[in-house]
Amino acid sequence: MVKSYLATSLKEALEIRGRESITPYAGGTDLMIEAHDDASYLFLNKIPELKQITVDDEYIRIGAASTFTEVYQSKLVPQILKDAVIEIAAPAIRNLGTIGGNICNGSPKGDSVLIFFATDSKLRLASSKGERILPIKDFYLGRKKLAIQDDELLVEILMSKTGLDNYYYKKIGARNALAISRVSFAGVLDIKDGKVVNCMTAFGAVSDVVIRRPDIDGMLIGKTIDEAKAVKEKYLAAFDEAIVPIRGRVSAEYRKSVCMNLLKDFLESNGI
Amino acid sequence: MIKFILNGEEVTSNANPNERLLDVLRNEFRLTGAKCGCKEGECGACSVILNEKLVNSCMVAMGSIEGSTVMTIEGYSKTDRFTVLENAYAAVSAVQCGFCIPGMMLASERILAENPNPTEEDIRRGISGNLCRCTGYNAIVEAIGIAAKEGKGLW
Amino acid sequence: MEAISKSVKKMDHDAKVSGQALYVDDIIMDDMLYGKMLRSTKAKARIKNITLPNISAGYFVVDKNDVPGENKIHVVEEDMPVFPVDTVEYVGDPILMVVGPDKKEIGKILSEIVVDYEELEPVFDVRKSDVSFFHYNYAKGDVDKAFEEADRIITETFETGHQEQAYLETNGLIAYPHDGRMTVRGSMQCPYYVFGAVAKAIGYDKKDIQIIQDVTGGGFGGKEDYPSILACQLAVAAIKANKPVKYVFERREDIEFTSKRHPSICTYKAAIKNGRVTGMDIDVTYNSGAYTTLTNVVLQRGIIGASGVYNITNLRVTGDAKKTNTVPNGAMRGFGAPQTFFAIEMMMLHIAKELGVDSLKFKEQHMVKQGDATSTSGQFHFHVPLPEMVERADQLSDFRKKRELYKNQTGRYRKGIGISLVYHGCGFTGSGERDFIKAVARLKKNADDTVEILISITDMGQGAKTTFSKIVADTLGISIDKVIFANPDTDRVPDSGPTVASRSLMVVGQLIKRAAEKLKVQWKSGEEQMIEEHYVHPDFLIPFDINTFHGDAYPTYSWSVNVIELEVDTLTATTNVLGAWGVYDVGTPLDLNILHGQMQGGFLQSIGYASMEQINYNEKGIIRNNSFSDYIIPTSMDVPNMVTDIIEVPYIEGPYGAKGAGELPNVGPAPAYIDALENALENRINHIPYTQEDTMKYLQEVAK
Repeated sequence: MVKSYLATSLKEALEIRGRESITPYAGGTDLMIEAHDDASYLFLNKIPELKQITVDDEYIRIGAASTFTEVYQSKLVPQILKDAVIEIAAPAIRNLGTIGGNICNGSPKGDSVLIFFATDSKLRLASSKGERILPIKDFYLGRKKLAIQDDELLVEILMSKTGLDNYYYKKIGARNALAISRVSFAGVLDIKDGKVVNCMTAFGAVSDVVIRRPDIDGMLIGKTIDEAKAVKEKYLAAFDEAIVPIRGRVSAEYRKSVCMNLLKDFLESNGI
Repeated sequence: MIKFILNGEEVTSNANPNERLLDVLRNEFRLTGAKCGCKEGECGACSVILNEKLVNSCMVAMGSIEGSTVMTIEGYSKTDRFTVLENAYAAVSAVQCGFCIPGMMLASERILAENPNPTEEDIRRGISGNLCRCTGYNAIVEAIGIAAKEGKGLW
Repeated sequence: MEAISKSVKKMDHDAKVSGQALYVDDIIMDDMLYGKMLRSTKAKARIKNITLPNISAGYFVVDKNDVPGENKIHVVEEDMPVFPVDTVEYVGDPILMVVGPDKKEIGKILSEIVVDYEELEPVFDVRKSDVSFFHYNYAKGDVDKAFEEADRIITETFETGHQEQAYLETNGLIAYPHDGRMTVRGSMQCPYYVFGAVAKAIGYDKKDIQIIQDVTGGGFGGKEDYPSILACQLAVAAIKANKPVKYVFERREDIEFTSKRHPSICTYKAAIKNGRVTGMDIDVTYNSGAYTTLTNVVLQRGIIGASGVYNITNLRVTGDAKKTNTVPNGAMRGFGAPQTFFAIEMMMLHIAKELGVDSLKFKEQHMVKQGDATSTSGQFHFHVPLPEMVERADQLSDFRKKRELYKNQTGRYRKGIGISLVYHGCGFTGSGERDFIKAVARLKKNADDTVEILISITDMGQGAKTTFSKIVADTLGISIDKVIFANPDTDRVPDSGPTVASRSLMVVGQLIKRAAEKLKVQWKSGEEQMIEEHYVHPDFLIPFDINTFHGDAYPTYSWSVNVIELEVDTLTATTNVLGAWGVYDVGTPLDLNILHGQMQGGFLQSIGYASMEQINYNEKGIIRNNSFSDYIIPTSMDVPNMVTDIIEVPYIEGPYGAKGAGELPNVGPAPAYIDALENALENRINHIPYTQEDTMKYLQEVAK
C-alpha cells in the first residue's frame, strides 16, 4: 500500500519524517524522472514555513520549498542567485523545482548549489527533536552523500545580506535551455577601499562535490589589487592543482580548461 | 482520493498519490491533449497549467496537487484568449505535426499572461522548455507576437 | 507569385491546436493489450536458451515460433527477421515480445525471463568491418589521367555521425485482428510499405490486411522503415493473443533502438590543375548497423551526390555500406545526401584555402549550369539558379563583407560566417517510380459534390493534406471546404507510393492534378464519379542504369544556398548562432507558409546535426545518451529567427511547377555552419558534430 502525506505545517512534516521511512518531495522534478511505483512521498509543496522568503538582521532566509520561479521573482533574493536560477532548465521546471530539492539531490551540477557554495551560505536543518545550522560545504560528504539524518528536513537556506554585489557567474551547458551544467563557475569579490575584503569562488559540475577552496581564495583576502596581482600566478597554480575533473562523459580536459579560463577572467575583470 | 479543480470543475481522482498527473489526465479523465514525449520533463509536450503556472504534467505526482487548479488544452480551448492565439498560429501555419502544440499553446498563454508585450527574447525563453522538431520555432515565435498585438486587453 | 502559392489555413490546424487530434497513443480499444520487447543485452551472440517464468493467464510470450508467415521483414531486402532465429546482432535486437493487459505485470515477466547467450565477437568500428552489405562504384571521364596531369593532389577524409530523428511523437502502432483480417494502425509514413511487410510476416491474403495511418507526430524518415518492423512483430502478437495489441515506444526505447541517420566516412582525392579541380576520386563508407533496412538506397543517393553542385568531369566514386553490430540505421531526412554534401562542401572549401583563393569564388567557378552533365552522366536539363541564389543570400546576410571582416580576430568573442551550395535530387533514384512504385492516385467525387483524395501519401506535419487539397480545389474551382483528405487507409486508397524522397507533391501531386483536370471536364453534379491516374515517366530523362550508375538519377533538382553566422566564446568554447539565411528553389511553392515552415524546420535539424547532436556508443555497443536530456536537439533559445527566401524555377512535370522540397533544407546548413566556425577559429574541420570539446581542444593547441 503506497502511503503518502501532504503536510500543511512544518511541525506535521517533521513528525511524519521522524516516524516513517518516506521520501521528501518538494517539486518532484528530480524524483519523478525515475519514479518508483511503490515510492512513498512526503509532499512539502504546501508548507508555508518552507516557502517563505524573508530577511532578518543577519540573513536572507529562503524557504527550501521555494520554487526557482519564486526565488527569481522575489525582491529579497540577491542577483547572483537569480542569474543562476534563470538558467535552470526551462519555465515549466522552474515553476515546480525547488532550491531545497536542488541541494538535497546532492549533485555537483546543481545550479543554485553552486551559488550557495560561492556565497558561503548556510543550511538550516530541522527534525522534531530540534534544529541545526551548518555551512553548505559541510552538508556534502561526497558524491550524492549528504549530512542529513533520516528524520531531518532542509528548512531554509541562509544567505549573507551584504558583500555579494560584485560577482561573476557562468554556466556552460550543451545548449542554451534545458541544459544540465557541464561546467559552471561563480566568483564573488568584495572590495572596499581598494582592498579585497572577501573572495569566494566555486566550481560546479567538475568533481563529486562543488569545489570550494576558501584556503586558496584566502590568498587574495586583505590584499590591495596590486598585491593581489603579485600573487595571481600562485593563486592560479593552486587552483590548477586543486581542480581535478572526474572522468565523465564530458571531457575532463575541456572542463579543466573552462574552469581556469573563467577563473582568470574573473580576476582580470576585477583588474587583477 | 485526490480532489482538485480540473478545467474549472471540481473532480476527484482515484489515482495513487505517486501516479503522474499526465497519466491520470490521459487515462482516468481521457483528456489526451497533453502528450507524453519523454516522461522526464525535457520536452514540454505534456505541459499543463497548474495553479496558473506552466508545468510538465509528467513531473507532477498526484499527491502534491490536492486542492490545486489544473487547466489542460481542452479547458483552455474554450477561452477567448485561446481564440486569439490559435488564429495567430493559423495565420502563420505554425502547426505542423501538432504533437508539441497543446503544450506550446499553454506555454504561449503563460508568456502573455505574465507579460502582455513580450520581446522576441521573452517569447523564446517562454517556450524554451517546449521542444519542436518540425518548425524551427520561427512561426511559433511569430504567432505569439501576433497574438500579443491582436489580443490587446485580453492579457 | 502564383495564386496557388498563397497561404491558406491548414486543414489539420483546428484538430491539432485544440488537442482534439488523435495520435495512436490517444486511442484505446476494447480488450486492448500492451506489448513490450525483451531485447538482447549483447551486441553479438547466439541464443542458447531462453527460460520463461510462469506466466499468468491473459499474458503471452510472442517469438519466432509464433510467426505464421515468413520470419522475415520486407524492407528492401529481407535480412531482418521478425524475431531472431538463433543469433542477435546488436544490443536491443528484439528477441521476443511479452503481451498482456497490465504494463507493470509485463515488466515483471520481462525481468524474470533468463536468456542464455553464447557471446560472439561483435564489430563496432566500421573501419574494422569485413562485411560490406553493398558496394557500388561509378565513373566518368578519365580520373587517372587527371591525377597524372595534376599540379597538385589534395586528399582529405571527412566524417559525419549518427543523427536521431527525434520526432516529438515516438514510434507506436496498434494491431488488431477482426473478422479473419488484421488491421495495423498508427504512426507511420508509408502504409503500403507496412502492408507488404505484414502480409509476408503473417501470410494472410492481401484482402485480409488493412493498414491505417493515424495522425502522425513527425517522421523525418524515422517512420519510413521502422513501422514495418514493429508492425510485423505486433501483428504476430495480435494473432497469438487474438486481441488488439498496442505498442508505443517510450522515448528512451525509441532513441536507443530505432533507426538513425547513417554515420559516414568519405575520403576525397582531388586533382588540381591551373587552380581548378580537374578530377576527383571519392570513397564513401556508410555504417549500416546490423541489418540492411534502407541502406542500399541511402548509399546510392549519397554517392550520386558525392561531387555536389560542382562540374567535375573526371570522377570516380566508390561506395560501401558496412555492417556493424549496432542498431540498424535507416532513413532520415536527406537520406544519404547530408553526409556527402558535407564532405564535398568541406573539400572545396579546404582546397580553396590550400590554394589561397576566395572559397566562394572558387566554388562559383566550378558550379554546374544547365546543360552540364551530372555526376552520373545524366544532364542538368533545367536552369540552375545557383548564381542568383548566391547573390540573394549575400544581399540578405552580407556574407562577403562579413567574411572579410571576420579574418584575423583576436578577441575573446570571434564571429564567423559560412556558406554552402547544395542540391537535392527530387524523387526516387533512377527509374524507381516507373519500375517499382508505379504510383496510382484516385479522386472520388461524391454525390454531394464533395471530392475525396484517395492516395497513400501521409501528412506527418509537412502539410500534405493542405497542399493536395489546394491542388484539387484550385483545379476544380471549388471551395477547399469541399475537399476531403482523410488519413490513408489501405482499404480505401490505392498505392501511390511512400511519403519519402521529396516525391509526394512532385509525383503524386501531379497525378492528383491530372485527375482533377479530368474530373473537371467529366464533372456531373449530383453523381458519384471516380478518376484514377497512373504514374507516367517523364520522357526527357536519360535512362538510368542502376548497375552502372549511368544516366539521369533524378528528373530534376531543388537547390539551396545557406549562410550561417555565429560567434564563438573562446573562454568557454561555446558557439551561438547569430544569423541563419537560406535561399531555396523548389519550383513553385504550393503554399508559402507551409514551404517556409518546412525550410525552417529542416534548417534547424541540420544545425543540430553539425553542432550538438550525437549518439555515443560505449565499448559494449550500448547507446549511452538515450534520453532527451542527453540527446541534445536545439531549443527556441539556440537559434535566432531564420530567414528563408524563395527563388522559383518551375518544373514542367510538377504540379503548378512544384519540385521536391521536404529534404532539401537538411542538406546545406551543416557545412555552412562548419565553414562559419572555420572562419571564426581559423582551423580546419573535417567532422561533424563539431562540439564544444572539439573547439576547446583546438583553442588549447593554438594557445600552446
